[in-house]
Formats: sequence, C-alpha cells, structure tokens
Amino acid sequence: MLLKRQWLDFGKIYFGVLIVLVGIIIAIYSYFIPTPKSGHFFDYDGNLDMRFRYGLFMLLGFFFISIIASGYYNNLGQKSRAILELMTPASTFEKFLAGIFYTAIVSVFSYLLVFYIVDAGFVKYLNSNLPAFSSTLNKKTSIKDVDGIFYEVINDANYLRYSRYFFVFPFLFTSIFLLGSVYFNRFHYIKTAMAVMIFTGIAGYIIYKIGYLLTQDMVSISIVSKEDSVLQSTFIVTLIITIIMWLITFIRLKEKEV
Amino acid sequence: MEFRDNKAIYLQIAEYVCEHILLGKWKAEEKVPSVREMAVELEVNPNTVMRTYELLQNKNIINNKRGIGFFIDENAIENVKSFRKVQFMDDELPVLFRNIYLLNIGFDELKSKYETFVKVNFNA
Amino acid sequence: MIKIAYTLVYYLTNTVDMIQINNLNFGYNKHSPLFKNMSMQLSAGHIYGLLGKNGAGKSSLLKNLAGLVYAQSGTLNVLGFDPKKRQPALLEQICFIPEEFYLPAVKIDSYIKANAPFYKNFDHDYFNDLIKEFDIPVGQKLINMSYGQKKKVIIAFGLATQAKLVIMDEPTNGLDIPSKAQFRKIMASALTEDRCIIISTHQVRDLDNLIDTVIMLDENDIALKASVEEITEKLTFKKVKEIDASIIYAEPSLSGFNAVMPNFHQEDSKLDMELLFNAILAEKNKFKPYFN
Repeated sequence: MLLKRQWLDFGKIYFGVLIVLVGIIIAIYSYFIPTPKSGHFFDYDGNLDMRFRYGLFMLLGFFFISIIASGYYNNLGQKSRAILELMTPASTFEKFLAGIFYTAIVSVFSYLLVFYIVDAGFVKYLNSNLPAFSSTLNKKTSIKDVDGIFYEVINDANYLRYSRYFFVFPFLFTSIFLLGSVYFNRFHYIKTAMAVMIFTGIAGYIIYKIGYLLTQDMVSISIVSKEDSVLQSTFIVTLIITIIMWLITFIRLKEKEV
Repeated sequence: MEFRDNKAIYLQIAEYVCEHILLGKWKAEEKVPSVREMAVELEVNPNTVMRTYELLQNKNIINNKRGIGFFIDENAIENVKSFRKVQFMDDELPVLFRNIYLLNIGFDELKSKYETFVKVNFNA
Repeated sequence: MIKIAYTLVYYLTNTVDMIQINNLNFGYNKHSPLFKNMSMQLSAGHIYGLLGKNGAGKSSLLKNLAGLVYAQSGTLNVLGFDPKKRQPALLEQICFIPEEFYLPAVKIDSYIKANAPFYKNFDHDYFNDLIKEFDIPVGQKLINMSYGQKKKVIIAFGLATQAKLVIMDEPTNGLDIPSKAQFRKIMASALTEDRCIIISTHQVRDLDNLIDTVIMLDENDIALKASVEEITEKLTFKKVKEIDASIIYAEPSLSGFNAVMPNFHQEDSKLDMELLFNAILAEKNKFKPYFN
C-alpha cells in the first residue's frame, strides 16, 4: 500500500533516471564496442576484448544507485511535500522500509537487470557479426563467442570469489545517500558526496596516524598471505557501516520536523 | 440571507425563521430544516443554529419531536407575535422613544402618521 | 446535496476533551521561544478559530498538534495519543490542510486510489459529493489545476477521510468568492459532534459566522480562548457616536466609532471578530478580568 503510494511520486524520478541510464549504457557500448575496422581486439584465447564493461558497470552503477537513493527523500526537503509525507498514516518504520525497498532493492536489481539486457543485446549483435572479425584476426586461434558480462563473472571462480566480498558495497552507497537525502534539505547529492569525501579523508588520516603510531616500533610483516581475511573484514565492515547508516536514517526520519 | 452587523447571529436566524412563519411559508405542524441543513444554507456554525432552535423552542414557536426533528408549533404565529412584541418593546421602542423625546414630537402627530401609514401599506 | 446525518445530541456529547496541551514550551531556537508554558483544552463538536498576528505561532501550534514539530517541553495529548510518535492510528484521525501543499502530477482518481487505502473510514461517495459541490473537473490532472482548485481537492480529501480532528491553516487563502461560500457550506456540514475543527486565519471576515470559539495567540501564550456566546455575554460590540469611559476599545468608523464595552444590559450584540482582535492586541490587560 505504502509502496504503491510512494511509487506515485517516486516512480517519475525513477523512470527518468532509468531511461537516462539506458541511454548512457547504449551510447558507451556503441562507442567502445569492438568493430572489425578498429583493429585488434582479441586476446590470446580468441576472445573479444570487452574489458571496458567492468569499469562502466561499476562507475554507472555507483552513479545510478546513489542518484536514486539521493532522490528518494527529496520530498522531505520541501516543506509542503514533507507535510503530506509525514501525515500519511503509516508508521515511521514502514515508511523507512519502503525507502530501503526502493533505494536498495529495487534500484540495485533494476540496475543489474537493465545492464544485463543491454549487455545481452550487444553480445548477441557481436556474436552474429563474428565472421566479420575473422579478417582482422592474424592468429590461428578460432574466434570464440562473446559472453555476457554476468555470465563471465559467475563462471569464473576467481571473479566470483572477489566479487562476493564486495556484494555489500552497493547497499553501502545507497544507505549513505539515503541518509544524505533525509539529512540535507537541498542539494542532497552534492552535499552528501562532499560529506563522504571529507569524512573518509578525516577517517583515513586518523587511521593512518593511529596505525603509524601503533606500528612505529614494529617490523612490518606482509599481509598479502591473509588476503582472504582482509576481504572478509572488508565485507563485515561495509555491512556494519551500511546497517549503521540505515539506523541513523531511521532515527533522522523519526525526528524529522517541518 | 444577509446578516446585519448589529445583532447576534443566532437572533438574526430566529428572526429569519419567524419571518418565514409569519409570511406563511412554513405552516403549523410542518418540519423545519434540520440544524445541519439550516447551518449549510446560511453558512454558519451548526452550534449557532442549535442555539436559535433552543430559543425558539423555549418560546414555543417550534417543538422538538425526539429523533425526528423540529416542527412548527401549532400556535406558532401567535407565539412569534408575542415574542416579536417583547423584542420590539425591549429593543426598538426605547430608541424610538428617545428620538420622540429629543425631537419633541407630539403623540397626536404620531397617531395621524401611524394611521396614514397603515392605510397606505395595509389598506386597513 | 450533502449527506445529512443530524443527531440531536450536539451539546450533550462535546464535553470530552479531544486535545490537551499542558505547559507547552516551543520555539525554533532556544533564545526566542514561541510558546511559554501554554496550556489549553479543546473538545469535539466545535469549530475553533485560531487568530493571531503574523509570527504569533498559529501555524506552529497547528504543527505541534499534528506532530510535525517537537516541543522542548510539556505534554500534548491528541485523541489519547502523543502526536510526536506519529502513530498511524492517530495520523488517520487527523486531517491537516497546510497553507502550502503539494499534490503529485496525477489525476484525482489515481491520487485517491493511492492515498485513500490509508484511511479505513474513507468515504468515497462523500468525496465525490464534495468534489461536485466544489465544481472540480474530475478528469483533470492535479498539476494543471489552479491553486484554489488544488486546495479544494485536498480539503475534500481530508474531510472524506472522516478524520476526527480537522486542522486547517488559512483554508480560505486562494479561494475565490464563490469558493469561499462553498467552503463555508461544506464546513458547516462537516461539523459533527465527534469532530473537532481548528481553523487558523487572518481573514476573519471569511469565517466569522462559522467559528464558535475564538483562540487568540499573542506574546507567547493564549491571549483569549472563549466561545462566541461567552464573549457576547460579557462584552458588547456597537457603533457609538462618542467615546465615554465605559468603552474599552474603539475604532473610528464612518458614523462615529465601533466600540467594545462591557455588556451591562444583557444585550445580544454581534461579535465583531476583527474589532475584538484589535482590541485585545491593544488592551490585553483590560480584557483579562472578563475571561479566565
């Protein structure tokens, strides 16, 4: 019920951003996509070079989910809309859950879906044009079909192992920007980004200083061997920060005054 | 209905009801508009209309049939007249007397004026 | 025609306090308090008119009641709830019409479909009656409507929720003359014995026959809270030729003065709300003995 009501307002922004997103993905794909004319795009195994996809995926993903999260509580910044929002007979917790649902779940999954569809479309197009590439191929290896981006990730044990630990990151971003949108009345996005930068700057400096002071008299040991535990702790830390962010968002929402 | 400035609204509504009765628009034993209907029509607070109806009930101009609503009393016209008479005597006559006194108008002069007035307006 | 469901028990049932305010202290910052130790009780079956100068805190008081702002100290009890907690059970009993409001860019029926389910007592027929009464084109998108039309939609929606507490901040602002008459008719019919209506206004003339109890805010507190009946029992409002000692406050008018004076002779005069407002602002202390 609340989800439906929120959709009335939020849906427009959401679709707007989503359409822009699709446009950007398609544009960048068509720009970077290997073409027979543009030369050598094959690795030793005869795969087309599609590495640009990963950078694009992450960068766009960051912007998309953060913009969506930042826009969600947009209406609380405007007095007239906030009154309507706060006077809706639903508990603060329900309103908060609706926020999480749209910003964390819907935005992340719709992003994955949209990216997957566009990617699949281009992959299909490339595969049907593969023979055109054979002329530029000077090695004897045969050309392999291009795989979809997610197919590549999921079928590669290495990728999967790493990416598993970063699973929480998108939620962390949405939680930070969601908090930003509750906290600031205007220019949430820029203000949040600034706040995050300043905060991470200070935190980084403090951690560095403390670490330096603590380890002053110690001999450095390589921790490369403990890669797994580092990744694991990254996972846990991001998870904890995300939950804390959501908690603060909830409290801010409860205390929001107009 | 236009409200005037000088008299309490609930009394003006009472006059409005009395006027309807005297003019025969509302007849004895007929139902009067409910408090709410009256309030909506006159754009006033229902509590004000309620006060009017209580007053009219006390003067036996309307009576309250429990659960059905208010009805014009069978002796409403007489009761309106006596109610209006009291009001006239109390409120309007002192003002009139004051002017009569101040302007030094004789009762004979008043009497002939009054008779012409009745003749012209009511053909009596 | 508006549905008529009149019951005879107007005066009998409205003794229960719907809102209790105890020692409320409120201000947007600590140095300039808006309300100091304010206490007040409001009950169902009345239309309260909230008056006050600009900045006296009319809107803030209404927001406190609706739980949109939080007081520094003191207790608030609205229908047995603390509005601060924003419990759904209370929120669905409050119809809050702010001065500035926002409606999404959709048609009326999709707005209703999305919002009405939150109010379990929502009366769709009544809403349609009100929309008709207000002459609002149903098919039009809310965003293309004029300010006055939007205001009428939001008022109609609010009343159709059957909320027990109706709070309106300057409802007649932006309404044209026929709309104001429609509004008065609708409010007259909206008052039931279990409903409490609070209207803040500075356009007293729009509403003076609708209001049965006057609440006036001044100098961080309630300067006056009295029913029209009580006021006219104690004071009389009339035109006089010259000022004498019995007059508490007078304003020059076309033919002499509009004056407020003690009601010595049990006269039933018509309350001139604007005059009373100015009188109390000017001569607050002289009125104190009359109202407690």
